[in-house]
Amino acid sequence: MKLKKLTALLLAGLMALSLAACGDDNTDANTPATSGSNDTNVSTTPADDNTTTPADDTASDLSGKLVIWTLAADLEQFADRFKEMNPGVKTEVVVIAPADYPTKVEAALLGGAKEPDIIVGEPQMLESMYDAGFFEDLNQAPYNAQDYAGQIVDYVWEVGQDADGIQRAISYQITPAGFFYRRDIAKTVFGTDDPAEIGKLFADYDTILETGRTLKEKGYRIFASDAEISYFSGDSAWVIDEKLNLDQSRIDYMDMSVALYQEDLTAYAAQWAAPWYQAMKGPVPILTAETQWGTDDMPIWNGEDAFAEATEGMETTEVFAFGLPAWGVLTLRDNCGDTSGLWGACAGPAYGFGGGTFIGISSQSERKDLAWEFVKFCTLNEETADWWIEKSQGDTVSLVSALEKHANDGNETYGGQQLYAFWLEQAEGIDYSKVTMYDKAIGDAWGSAISAVKTGEKTKEQAISDFYDEVAATYPNLTIER
Amino acid sequence: MATKIKKAILYILLILLAVTCLVPFLLMMVNSTRSATEIMTSFTLIPGHNLKENWDLVFSYFNLFLGFWNSLKVAIPATILGAYFSALTAYAMAVYKFKGEKILFYVIVIFMMIPGQLGLIGFYNLVSALHLTDSYIPLIIPAIAAPGTVFFLRQYVLSVLPMELLEAARIDGARELHIFHKIVFPIMAPGVATMAIGGFIGNWNSYLVPLILLNTPKKFTLPVMISSLSASQNIASNQGATYLAVAISVIPIMIVFCFCSKYIISSISAGSVKG
Repeated sequence: MKLKKLTALLLAGLMALSLAACGDDNTDANTPATSGSNDTNVSTTPADDNTTTPADDTASDLSGKLVIWTLAADLEQFADRFKEMNPGVKTEVVVIAPADYPTKVEAALLGGAKEPDIIVGEPQMLESMYDAGFFEDLNQAPYNAQDYAGQIVDYVWEVGQDADGIQRAISYQITPAGFFYRRDIAKTVFGTDDPAEIGKLFADYDTILETGRTLKEKGYRIFASDAEISYFSGDSAWVIDEKLNLDQSRIDYMDMSVALYQEDLTAYAAQWAAPWYQAMKGPVPILTAETQWGTDDMPIWNGEDAFAEATEGMETTEVFAFGLPAWGVLTLRDNCGDTSGLWGACAGPAYGFGGGTFIGISSQSERKDLAWEFVKFCTLNEETADWWIEKSQGDTVSLVSALEKHANDGNETYGGQQLYAFWLEQAEGIDYSKVTMYDKAIGDAWGSAISAVKTGEKTKEQAISDFYDEVAATYPNLTIER
Repeated sequence: MATKIKKAILYILLILLAVTCLVPFLLMMVNSTRSATEIMTSFTLIPGHNLKENWDLVFSYFNLFLGFWNSLKVAIPATILGAYFSALTAYAMAVYKFKGEKILFYVIVIFMMIPGQLGLIGFYNLVSALHLTDSYIPLIIPAIAAPGTVFFLRQYVLSVLPMELLEAARIDGARELHIFHKIVFPIMAPGVATMAIGGFIGNWNSYLVPLILLNTPKKFTLPVMISSLSASQNIASNQGATYLAVAISVIPIMIVFCFCSKYIISSISAGSVKG
């Protein structure tokens, strides 16, 4: 009896296994066949590609299959649009969670995979991907990316270059940072809501503190969290000629962060947490350093009514500004609720940027010509840029001509402000030569030094000395002058 | 009286434990019916009204049931193969005396300590050299070699299987494989079931290996599919959908646990020689 059961079970297992195996065989048989036919199709395209007069390619006779591995779902829409424009093309878009994207690409490309054709990266991943040789050299013959240099905003163009200045990837968006502020509060407190005037209130770290104090006197808070200024954290390179460079502006930044915290100038929300989003909509209860989100006496329970109830006894305040990169336009639009139309954007104390998806061609791809058409389509095609501006309703593209064309477009959420012109201006100020491969680690170490000082865990001198120690331990090759 | 108080304290503690274990599940279910902004701005145990929207959102990205089916296609064969062959190996190691048996055992113990992620790129290279990327075979076959399971079952066999049973069977003329299937396996069943549950959950939740080996979106297993939800432009707006997808993906694990948990419990007290 038992044996019968067991054999039945085994048989079922075998069947399931063979099922899986069968399903696999079919597709395995299919893929080489299709990719083979693709190659022959694609090889016809270089002919019209060689006459490289940018932006006028009417390459609607493209055909073949393109495999795109992306960490931003945006590219799915780009791929659909690409198919629409070129009916002969088939695309396969694989969307992978950003945290696992480098692992997936690394395993595949180190293993010699011929697919994907298109790979992407965010700025912090790009350097190691360049070093590993994953991206195709776009400066060489059929592509000649250098001919397009002036068409894309400069800093984005430079992020797409490896250490030797070879173009490897191009982004379709720019992500310069700015401050988003409440126009109504600006009018009541400062008597104006003009971005140029408000920008002066954020002109340097001391002025930001002053602004914060003024706002607090009037019952507002300047920021929801103290992470808002992190995009503007310094206007100098961390490392110059293999030497750690702790600029005075870094120290000033630390002083300001500490003061913001210790003088209760922010609302103590954690960035990307519930009260932080709440602050976009309007009043939030005033949390203090002791009652930050997550403590027992701040229950956020049973929906918004109860939230209001639980914090009824507490004073509420409204938050003046958020510091975010250009994609914050969309975050704010989706979360601002009734304050829609009351926002404005202005420049910060320094230029900075955050994020962005950079598109490149896998160096092992067998369909590089079609892949290059796709990269051009996403980044260098004005029609696509127009379409994306409309489709995403406010994402900021990297194509200069499109930004100039839409310079006069007003954005309703931001009181009709002409955001594209503003972002272009901010992006032009970014000096990418100040970005080094050490930024992430050193920036993190500096960040933890700042939080140690602001919570009173260490004195300023001690924190800075510990910071030196940490950098020295992480990068023994750097010279450090204390 | 004293025992009553003791009991009461015990019960209160157990109830607290049960609540802390169940609340996250409940929250997951509740959050799957709420919109992203609701989830982010507040916290409640009362279901919202966004189940339909979340459902539509999930299915606008991918077909969740396809992922379900894919995951089943991987997890069931992998579990069955892993359990059966581990039991076979464990029995042999526990009962037969042969040369190199000790060394083999130590090798198994050592392999138990090496995390699988270490050989990931090597594994990928092997799979791609065999032209097996983007298929389920490399996800299923390696499950046969499960050193942890073998180790556990070996100890289990040693403790529950009286050698007299085997001798009796041999005297009656049973062949060795027959003895294993007819006598040993049923005795081992509780232990095997325990490991099979663990194995099924592990295979069902397995993320890194399928992520790296599977390239076609249609072949993605459930965890890989769900994680792609967090790759969209506006991660925040997908929160409700993510909760819903995860809530659905937990169902098979719950079913397996319901049907097999009695084995886990009985494996603690089970014995074969009733006296």
